[in-house]
Amino acid sequence: MIRLKNIKKSFGKQMVLKGIDLTVEKGEVVVILGPSGSGKTTLLRCINFLERADSGAITIGDLSVDCHRATKKEILALRRKTAMVFQHYNLFKHKTVLENVMEGLVVVQKWPVERAKERSLQILEKVGLSQQIDMYPSQLSGGQQQRVGIARALALNPEVILFDEPTSALDPELVGEVLSVIQKIAREGITMIVVTHEMGFARDISDHVVFMDNGVVVEEGKPNEIFHAPKEERTKQFLKRITPEWRYSI
Amino acid sequence: MNIDFRFIVTAFFEIMKALPLTLVITTVPLLIGFAIGIGTALIRLYKVKVIYKIADFYVSFLRGTPLILHIYIVYLGLPLLFDVLAEKWGWSIRSNSIPLIVFVFVAFSLNAGAYMSEIIRSGILAVNKGEIEAAYSIGMTTSQAMKRIVLPQALMISLPNLCNMFVGLLHGSSLAFSISLMELNGKANVVASTNWKFLESFIAAAVIYWGMTILAEKVTAILEKRLRMFIKGGVA
Ligand SMILES: Nc1ncnc2c1ncn2[C@@H]1O[C@H](COP(=O)(O)OP(=O)(O)OP(=O)(O)O)[C@@H](O)[C@H]1O
Ligand SMILES: [Mg+2]
Repeated sequence: MIRLKNIKKSFGKQMVLKGIDLTVEKGEVVVILGPSGSGKTTLLRCINFLERADSGAITIGDLSVDCHRATKKEILALRRKTAMVFQHYNLFKHKTVLENVMEGLVVVQKWPVERAKERSLQILEKVGLSQQIDMYPSQLSGGQQQRVGIARALALNPEVILFDEPTSALDPELVGEVLSVIQKIAREGITMIVVTHEMGFARDISDHVVFMDNGVVVEEGKPNEIFHAPKEERTKQFLKRITPEWRYSI
Repeated sequence: MNIDFRFIVTAFFEIMKALPLTLVITTVPLLIGFAIGIGTALIRLYKVKVIYKIADFYVSFLRGTPLILHIYIVYLGLPLLFDVLAEKWGWSIRSNSIPLIVFVFVAFSLNAGAYMSEIIRSGILAVNKGEIEAAYSIGMTTSQAMKRIVLPQALMISLPNLCNMFVGLLHGSSLAFSISLMELNGKANVVASTNWKFLESFIAAAVIYWGMTILAEKVTAILEKRLRMFIKGGVA
């Protein structure tokens, strides 16, 4: 289980996160929605300390960390319980697909190379990249690169995978293949926190939806409640703006 | 005045005998300088307490002064330093038994280290920050990320400049003759003055340097071609 308590973060004078609380149960898929600049990316980055929150506490499984005081060791321990899938993939360019996936197992989790390779191959098969294992990231399409990014995260068997707009850098025709891979692993019971602007996908995949605006959680609940019966005005406006076609299709 | 073309050939083979020494005083400092360069670059990037000031000074001073002066200063200064230390620690040897080539190694390595630290530093800064974050996100420590993700790519990015460094050092090595080391240039001077055929000897020496330079450029081109695949980068 993951629990964020009163996470605050400022960049200079601008307060980007104004006290975020969030609980994610094991196996749950939480989708975070919100307008651009609302602090979604910052929140994800605070969870694995790519950004250090000014205050608040983060609990993942049996590890609790005070953001302000967290030591290097605690940060490392926390990062080893999480994995992240980035908007721009951020694959290791000098490593092959297989090496990208094996890297964390071998270097961080100290697996023997043979076992790491075996597991990585299984996972690459799961994301549909068995044919590309010896290629370099620059030889792949965006959709393939992002699936490597997902495999890299998945290989580590983390307690939670953080997705930051995993499809927003992709050409439209490549979005589907990535979303369906995420959907597939979601069904396997992996805990996920997903920031996305793909509303249909968000509705299908989520167990819980959080709507953020301006550094606060405005509203949260079951996908049905948030998408079809939002209580807050700001949520309504956001959904109307981002999913105009729904008004016709429902 | 006329040129004795046949002597150019004779001189060429005579001077070639000094090529091994030239290669030694080029590659040894290149390797030592490479190690110094990586160390210095990391110290300056991470702003390691106090010593980064020294590193800043080192790079600024050596890049701000000509190589010939580094040779002179090391040649004249190192013995003094050595003797003081020898006295203090009770070593049995004195500076006059230091072989000439050591001064060249020290001066060239320090010089190469300063230049290479700048090359490597800009290589490190050119590595995609997102990949470093990805390394952290999978739980790597700072030094694991540096060793496994950043440095390999930084060195690939720096490769063309590091090869240029080799050429610069190769040409710079001709200054070793100023403290009487008989490398290519020194040998050329000797062949020239014993035969009274200066122009021919120096043309022969020039051809040798040129040939080595072309060779180095060829090797660089091959290496670069093999590395371009990664450097080109992904879609993002
Ligand atoms: N490193 C930084 N330095 C300064 N300001 C930052 C930094 N990172 C983010 N911000 C600011 O914090 C605010 C929230 O940014 P964030 O990226 O978290 O928003 P977001 O909800 O992810 O937006 P988007 O949907 O556009 O990705 C923005 O105003 C942004 O300019
Ligand atoms: Mg964002």
